[in-house]
Amino acid sequence: MNRATRHEAPPKVVRGVALHGDPAREPCFTIVNTDAEMMDWPDMSDESRRERLHRHMNNECVAMEIAAQSLVDFPEAPWDLRLAIARQAADESRHVAVLLRRFRQLGGEVGAYPVSNYEWNLCAMIGDLPGRLAIENRTFEAGLIDILGQLRTTWRAAGDHETADALEAILADEITHVRFANRWIKALTERDPRVLLHVAQAIRFLRAVNQALAGTPGEVNAAGTVLTEGRLAPPAVYVDGRLEAGFTEEEVHEVLRQAGFRSILPGTLA
Amino acid sequence: MTLTVRERADTLGTLRYASVHAMETLAAWVPTTPDLEAKILFGRHIWEFAQHADQLGRRTHELRAALHYTPAPTPAYDGALALLRSTAGARERISAFHDVFLADLADKYADYLAATDAFLDEPSVRVVERITADLRRMTADAAEARAQRPALTGSGVATAAALAAALAAARPWVRHRAPAAGIAEATA
Repeated sequence: MNRATRHEAPPKVVRGVALHGDPAREPCFTIVNTDAEMMDWPDMSDESRRERLHRHMNNECVAMEIAAQSLVDFPEAPWDLRLAIARQAADESRHVAVLLRRFRQLGGEVGAYPVSNYEWNLCAMIGDLPGRLAIENRTFEAGLIDILGQLRTTWRAAGDHETADALEAILADEITHVRFANRWIKALTERDPRVLLHVAQAIRFLRAVNQALAGTPGEVNAAGTVLTEGRLAPPAVYVDGRLEAGFTEEEVHEVLRQAGFRSILPGTLA
Repeated sequence: MTLTVRERADTLGTLRYASVHAMETLAAWVPTTPDLEAKILFGRHIWEFAQHADQLGRRTHELRAALHYTPAPTPAYDGALALLRSTAGARERISAFHDVFLADLADKYADYLAATDAFLDEPSVRVVERITADLRRMTADAAEARAQRPALTGSGVATAAALAAALAAARPWVRHRAPAAGIAEATA
């Protein structure tokens, strides 16, 4: 089969770290690379809501692009895994569409706020599928489970039930994406234990990039919001969501430990 | 004279090849197309073709070929698929894919339905009927995306025409295996 080639984009170096070049974006978008360059507000004002939706929409777009690129980059992967990744790409596409629609309903104009393609810049550098699944699905998407576990109640408390309903639906999909990645990493590792080395290498790369790009408490972002330790801390762990996504109790314990046990749904674990 | 079991497997397997190719083409276009509505359209349709490939690949096994049997087509059809994938620009890509490629693919499925025995090959017929319904929905999705974003309409005429010509010239498009020596193949 005549296959597509890898995504070609000029590489970018951010704070000394070499990352993959950005995916294609319309000229109206302003692409930034760090938290400090983003605009976001701590409240739920109209402006803050629009920015949150805009940022989330771009993040879903990036997730769609990573899944799509994995279909291109790893044609020899097991067919059932490719099928799951194709489903993920379609799910993320629906997420972009629903967030775009809601953003426009709230009076948003695409490109009004800076966006970051951080997950793409990092994941497209990872040259093996288990490593990419470990970072995109098992780390970033699992983090999104935590974020959405919190955000759906934030939006509902602010009286925006339409957005909260959309986030509930997105959360269900994300749990599925993390679950299939957990299952496949385990299955691929059982077939070939060397897979774990690729996963470990990808995690090391993620840590190095995070360390280089992490915001510093006291920095002020593009909207004038101070990046406090609280704002930079990981979100509260959504324990039930992670268990549903196939993490073991030990793995959730470890995430809780790293997050300072800030569980919003303690269940039997906290 | 209806299709033999082997010919059915070869045709459905080649349609699987086209489906996988379509899935990968759309996947390659998602990060390389800037227009948001086009990205969304391509992203949604990736899974449609993955499902088609899956259903066809399971059916080929029932037709005594391998599970997910995916034979390469004739060089002419393969060349047309490569031409599709090389299309650049959001408008041009939608035009080439949704106006030209999908229409040709729908014709190929219609030809299959006309050639096979609808009763003896009923499981294939059901798969093909579901796929053709999906192809119609995908065409409607493209129309909706163009309605949302009129800039995605038009243009790409030359690219689409070149692709249409390449697809029309790619006859035959299935590379049938030779019947096993000494075995008279039944048509059922």
